[in-house]
Amino acid sequence: MKLAVIQYPGSNCDYDVIHVLRNLVGIETELVWHRNFNQSEFDAAILPGGFSYGDYLRAGAIAAHSPSLNEVKEMSQEGKVVLGICNGFQILVEAGVLPGALLRNDCLRFVCKWVNLRVCSSRTSATKLIPEGGLLHIPIAHSEGRYVNKNNDLKKLYENDQIVFKYVNEKGEEINSNPNGSLDNIAGICNLDGNIVGLMPHPERASEPSINPYGSDDGLLVFESMLNYINH
Amino acid sequence: MTKACDYVVEVIIENKKLAKDPEGETIYRELVNKSGYDQIQSVRSGKYLRFIVNTKTSKDAKKLVQDLCNDLRIYNPVVHSLQVTARGNSQ
Amino acid sequence: MNLLLSPTNININLSEEELNQAEKMLGRKPNSVELGMIDVMWSEHCSYKSSKLVLKKLPTKGKRVIVGPGYDSGIVDLRDGDVAAFKIESHNHPSAIEPYNGAATGIGGIIRDILCTNCRPIGLLDSLRFGELRKGHNRWLFLNVVRGIADYGNCCGIPTVAGEIEFDESFESNCLVNVACVGIGRKENIVLGRMENPGDNIVLLGGSTGRDGIHGVTFASKVISDGSEEDRPSVQVGDPFTKKVVIEATLEALKTGYVRGLKDLGGGGLTCGLSEMSSKGGVGVEIDIDKIHVREGEMTPYEIMISESQERMLFAIMPEGLNKILNIFKKWEIPYSVIGRVTDTCRIIVKKDGSIVVSIPPEILTDAPAIKRKSRKPGYLKEISNKDGIKNKPKDISLAVYTLLKTPNIASKEFVFRQYDHEVGVRTINKPGDGDAAVLRLLGKNKAIAIKSDCNSFHSYLDPFYGHAGAVAESIRNLVAVGSEPIAIVDCCNFGNPEDPEIYWQFEKSIDGLVYMLTGLEIPCVGGNVSFYNEDDRTRNAVKPTIVIVSIGLIGNLDWITKLNFKEEGDSIIAVGKTFPEMGGSQYYLRFKGIGGRVPRTTPEKEKSSIRAVQTLIQNGYINSAHDCSKGGLAIALATMAINGEFGAELNLDQLPKASASIDELMFSESHARFIVTSKKEDVNNIIKLCRKNNVPAAEIGEVTETNSLSFKYKKKIIAKCEVDKMKKCWEEAIPRFVSPTLKRG
Repeated sequence: MKLAVIQYPGSNCDYDVIHVLRNLVGIETELVWHRNFNQSEFDAAILPGGFSYGDYLRAGAIAAHSPSLNEVKEMSQEGKVVLGICNGFQILVEAGVLPGALLRNDCLRFVCKWVNLRVCSSRTSATKLIPEGGLLHIPIAHSEGRYVNKNNDLKKLYENDQIVFKYVNEKGEEINSNPNGSLDNIAGICNLDGNIVGLMPHPERASEPSINPYGSDDGLLVFESMLNYINH
Repeated sequence: MTKACDYVVEVIIENKKLAKDPEGETIYRELVNKSGYDQIQSVRSGKYLRFIVNTKTSKDAKKLVQDLCNDLRIYNPVVHSLQVTARGNSQ
Repeated sequence: MNLLLSPTNININLSEEELNQAEKMLGRKPNSVELGMIDVMWSEHCSYKSSKLVLKKLPTKGKRVIVGPGYDSGIVDLRDGDVAAFKIESHNHPSAIEPYNGAATGIGGIIRDILCTNCRPIGLLDSLRFGELRKGHNRWLFLNVVRGIADYGNCCGIPTVAGEIEFDESFESNCLVNVACVGIGRKENIVLGRMENPGDNIVLLGGSTGRDGIHGVTFASKVISDGSEEDRPSVQVGDPFTKKVVIEATLEALKTGYVRGLKDLGGGGLTCGLSEMSSKGGVGVEIDIDKIHVREGEMTPYEIMISESQERMLFAIMPEGLNKILNIFKKWEIPYSVIGRVTDTCRIIVKKDGSIVVSIPPEILTDAPAIKRKSRKPGYLKEISNKDGIKNKPKDISLAVYTLLKTPNIASKEFVFRQYDHEVGVRTINKPGDGDAAVLRLLGKNKAIAIKSDCNSFHSYLDPFYGHAGAVAESIRNLVAVGSEPIAIVDCCNFGNPEDPEIYWQFEKSIDGLVYMLTGLEIPCVGGNVSFYNEDDRTRNAVKPTIVIVSIGLIGNLDWITKLNFKEEGDSIIAVGKTFPEMGGSQYYLRFKGIGGRVPRTTPEKEKSSIRAVQTLIQNGYINSAHDCSKGGLAIALATMAINGEFGAELNLDQLPKASASIDELMFSESHARFIVTSKKEDVNNIIKLCRKNNVPAAEIGEVTETNSLSFKYKKKIIAKCEVDKMKKCWEEAIPRFVSPTLKRG
């Protein structure tokens, strides 16, 4: 089993994801320069967080034109697993692999803090091992994380069970829990088949108790779910 | 006597020529140029603001917005240049 | 030699005497390009000519010091071959007129300094000072400086993990923006900023060279006058995307082993880079101006040599490795130029169109003659020395606590650090606000580094010597409170005009205070920065004397990492160290119109005793939480522990180790050498015994409770009772209220 972490000019969280995958999950992982990414060599790919191309024009807008996205679109059709974290999610949305748009936070500032997420669908590659309604402590760090979509398209997302994560409070309620103004508190979505998932929070930063203020390793469940999904 | 009416005043704030424009340069270099648009010579980025101003003349409207931009630090003359254009009403 | 195409209107800032000295050293009149280079290198910012002689007194050696002052960063030993590089820099003058880009490019500069040593930058700190937030101009500076630091640091993927902010009217026309960076690496891979081998290729990597930033350093060596807003070329626009790419490409190039010397180009541009690298290695260089990739056509050699365009690195590369490294630069798609060679001529030769336009020994550029300035004790000190009183004594102590929690100098800085990505890199164990210092782990090892910045300019204004001795003490205490062993510091000096004898006196005494405490604590200073001329041209109001101390410590066992929040109901609260009535410069006096007063004084012996005690206690597993006492004294330290832990406490000050003092002095005095620690009840006796063994007074002063109240008893009376959630509100909302009354809490 082999996983690729696709590196763009400006990716920052690539090494963080590799650290978790290699040292905590124990899976063969390769850092692949975006121009060299060939999806046939891998079972899964992760587009990591960061500021590809400085977030110039719009976050993810320039990276979306990278040839690596053609490879990702093939993976989408073949049912292979892809995870887009933060900037990775923005790139997938800009490239049209995932629907909607990610706009500037409503508070107009960068926000770095720990949030609570509720898992809304357990059929996806990122949530296979997490029951619906499960709560996770995972941090966010972004300035363009406000998810928006047209009313009809949003309806379809609900109908097709494509809403994967939502921002909630400690009790799991969608009250005073939205850090960036996202529509319906949406923190992450998937494609129609559920093999491609994008989320704004950073699970790689929540995979070890020592750096987690809650002392848990909730983030690990996302990566383990990916593994589980591939094996089945 | 002219009556006051609504004028549209458009403001473009760009980095001064002497200052770098990393966003414009990157968009040009990494997106436009690499996608084969050879005729494009350069790209500059900036911020656009549109004001609806109620004054007697378009000249007054333009001056009002210019003064406002200076007063409220809408732009910083140390690094930014300002283009202010007033046109007749809001159609 | 060709006398060349330079503009005739070069603005030279050298004095008549300096011009003569330069001519003497060169043996002839320098041509206009050479003159421009000397002008820039002999500026205060580049040459430290007003401060060199005084800075020589600082202790710089120690068994953990691998590289001391003089290079781009200080490097210290973290055991087992691990090393840390760290450095601090100021970007005051640009930030005062263009806060967003001024602060952003400050971050850009400090990151480069660490990168040069082949250490990966893993943390940033910001130490900021502004005028009071009730004034719009100061809010404008504050908001934009923070945004500039956030945007740049976040884009580069380096977490900003610690810092401090002070607000005072002396910083109104001259805000202070000091930024520090720490990086980690391996001893065997360290690269230095020098060229040593004739024949090596010289390569310039990064952003193209343009007309921006010409005379950036001479701008920083003058006071800000009304004409400054017109000084357009002096503030550059940062490009963190290019920087991030330069970081990755540089680290990849360094891995090949073919890079023999590396330096970033900051103040003084190419002139500084070439002269420092060649003089340190005792070699010469020969470069061809026409090979340099420039942004604007028709740049003169003068302009190219002194341009301070951002995001540029200067490499000395072994010839056999040149192609491999250039291929790495090509992969990352960063512009570069091979501009010349290292020679054995011990001269900097610059050619254009085949002719020599500059021929100058590097030492003339790097060894500007030091200036011995006059100094005289300031008049204001004589005025206040006999006063000690308070005009506006608050009606009750509880109210005083709430009021102090609301003052921006004490209030929560969450508004700021939420904008900084402090988690990237997955190393941040103590996040901003968690403990007295930030803690960053070394991946895969049972080790971490603690890092903190400190200065109390209110103390140092009234007593530069003890104020700054105290700054060192406080910074070291903060490292100890999180479980580390302090290793070294770097310092950033911020003062007014050094040509004013009263300012120079402040500078000399401040350094003396540093020397006093560093020598006594056996902590070396491995680098630093000096920023003079931080004063208003018209009013002659200078900033309060501020030497920011950034200190680094090693945590040898991740189990020792300690935070400051109350942890469990029933825990005992113990005060370590003695409280004295020392109200001078205290936040209490500041808020309630105190006059004069004695600034807290401490000695290295007292600090050592407290430090050793707390270190031993932490390493033996006795401590649940620890916090040092600083701004706002005992009361605020306890309030912060309660707010962060969401616990209350019942305190009794009868047993508090103290010299006789009034109630408000006990609560708010900012005496040094003090910690508040919490532990399980059954460990209290052992803790007190251990403290006694280390010659430091300690006593149990209270207990953590599950209630919403922080109450203080003294001599059988309740002297203060505060509600924890009310304190939390005051503390959290203070700064957001200033910057936007209708702020949406992000």
